[in-house]
Amino acid sequence: MAWQKYLLAFIITAAIFGTAFYLTNRLDAKRLADIRTTQEEISIDILSTETQFELLGNLDCAAISANPVLSDELNNLASRLSVAEQNLGADNPEVTRLKKQYSLLEIKDYLLMKQISEKCPKVKPVFILYFYSNDGTCEDCGRQGDVLTYLRATYPTLRVYSFDYNLELGALETLVSLNQINGYRLPAMVIGNRAPVYGFKNLNDMEKLVPELETLATSTQATTTDDR
Amino acid sequence: MDAAALGVYAAIFLALFFEVFLLISFFEKRPAQMTALRPKRYPATTIIVPCWNEGPTIGGTIESLLALDYPADKLSIMVVDDGSTDNTGAVAREYAQRYPARVEYHYKENGGKWTALNFGISRTQAELVGCLDADSFVDEHALVEIVKLMENDPTIMAVTPAMKVNKPKRLIEMMQAVEYTFGIFFKKMFDNLSAISVLPGPFSFYKREIFDIIGPFKHAHNTEDMEIAFRMHQHGLKIANAHTAYVYTNVPTTVRALVKQRTRWSQGFLQNSQDYSHMYLNRKFGNFGMLVLPVGLLGFAAALYTAGFLLYNLINLVILKVSGMLATGVPPQLPSPRIDWFYIDTSMMLILTLTVAVMTLVAVLLGQRIAKTQLGVTHFVSYFLLFGLIAPLWLARAAWGALLAQESAWR
Repeated sequence: MAWQKYLLAFIITAAIFGTAFYLTNRLDAKRLADIRTTQEEISIDILSTETQFELLGNLDCAAISANPVLSDELNNLASRLSVAEQNLGADNPEVTRLKKQYSLLEIKDYLLMKQISEKCPKVKPVFILYFYSNDGTCEDCGRQGDVLTYLRATYPTLRVYSFDYNLELGALETLVSLNQINGYRLPAMVIGNRAPVYGFKNLNDMEKLVPELETLATSTQATTTDDR
Repeated sequence: MDAAALGVYAAIFLALFFEVFLLISFFEKRPAQMTALRPKRYPATTIIVPCWNEGPTIGGTIESLLALDYPADKLSIMVVDDGSTDNTGAVAREYAQRYPARVEYHYKENGGKWTALNFGISRTQAELVGCLDADSFVDEHALVEIVKLMENDPTIMAVTPAMKVNKPKRLIEMMQAVEYTFGIFFKKMFDNLSAISVLPGPFSFYKREIFDIIGPFKHAHNTEDMEIAFRMHQHGLKIANAHTAYVYTNVPTTVRALVKQRTRWSQGFLQNSQDYSHMYLNRKFGNFGMLVLPVGLLGFAAALYTAGFLLYNLINLVILKVSGMLATGVPPQLPSPRIDWFYIDTSMMLILTLTVAVMTLVAVLLGQRIAKTQLGVTHFVSYFLLFGLIAPLWLARAAWGALLAQESAWR
């Protein structure tokens, strides 16, 4: 019996495993780099709009009402982050860092849209601030995310900002306290400027809670994004 | 990574290790092509055709034997009818009357294939004894190829052929055609390792003397062809593979029949393994004891485990999706295809699974080259689509049957 052959087969098999591990890690790292690039682009876009806003004190309202600011980019980013979180785990430090940046971008976009809607009477975005947790304590968060994902795909102008309640981020904590969100009753949603709504709400409930949906244009071309 | 997934990685590691090992063996000693050389001597040979209710195919089987490129005075065909109740006897008797010097017909009470083989062996003193299932047909050069192999190495005591599926038409037959081609590759590699684990019914040959050494066929949990290979290894008798000796066999044409056949084979492996457990990881029995037996058993467990893991996850996913849809009120949606590399699954498990699939494909292509088999895209598609779905059925049934020490069914 040739022991060398057994050893060689073992080494080659281990090398195949090593290569697969390396490839997976390389591709995941590339994905994170891709997310970082997208975030930088969004950050620049937000900064540009903010600067424009400050410079002129006004904006081209007609253009804004026709093209919702950054909605697609943010949705795309959310979807990519969800994949990265799935592949690398929610507790991956790099994923957490990117989620923090994403949450900041969402807050900035939210504030900017509020300002725009005040300046431009024709722009009436419908906002939902969604607070979830994926630390295992919120059983309904996954399903609530499915409902919101579906709504966002059906109504492209509906602006859903989803936040991981447990992210340790100053701006997010301020948003939580401003909206008086109770972290023990997740999932929680703030629709428009109304009081927080707690617990799982299915599609029917949501349609009742957000009557403005009737005024929003629907899309047949659904873009799937994830809201945990 | 959870513990359940670790088990699947272990199964993939085992599958890869085995395939790598066989590929190394292939490159070490590549199978030779068929030559026009003739044997120096044509030993007297008897081919036993055990049959039970094989009326539709027995005629073709005898015809193919009569057409063998071998001196007629050195070859006798012995049909042993194991108590058929159809027209098998009438067809075989007709051949015996037409070719009295070449074809013998014997009828006996039904006792199982192993008893039919022993019946034939006890009535011949030919130097070589072959057997051919009555649903199989041989290539005209098959016997000469086997004799040449035995002549080149006198220590060879038994020879297996290269088995191909006879005219596969249905998808399930095409699936088996690929599987048999893969079998041609790994049987040849087992030959390189001196570790062939089964002497299949279609056209395996034995030197008559070995039955005096190790005794006749046994019931062996309805897998007498496997048990005799185990017993030969136990006695240190060499088994070789004649990859240029082609035999075409009819295969099950329904999932039910296939599962039944494979349950018998797999259960036979488990039960024979139990009977010959002393050979496991025993260096005395070379690669047979150290590689083929343990990897076979581990592979059996790994395949069952992986199938269970996948089934469990699939059921969970379906339950989650359906209950999610009912709870959320979100209508079912087809996943939208995204043309973006970002969303392509590049998990380690998928990459490794694809590597196993690619290596299996390489092995099948090598098997195709070794035995000049013709396979098309439909064959490969049916194999990769169906095999993984059907194989767990017979593995589970075989494991259950072995656990309860039940007897597997023939048909």
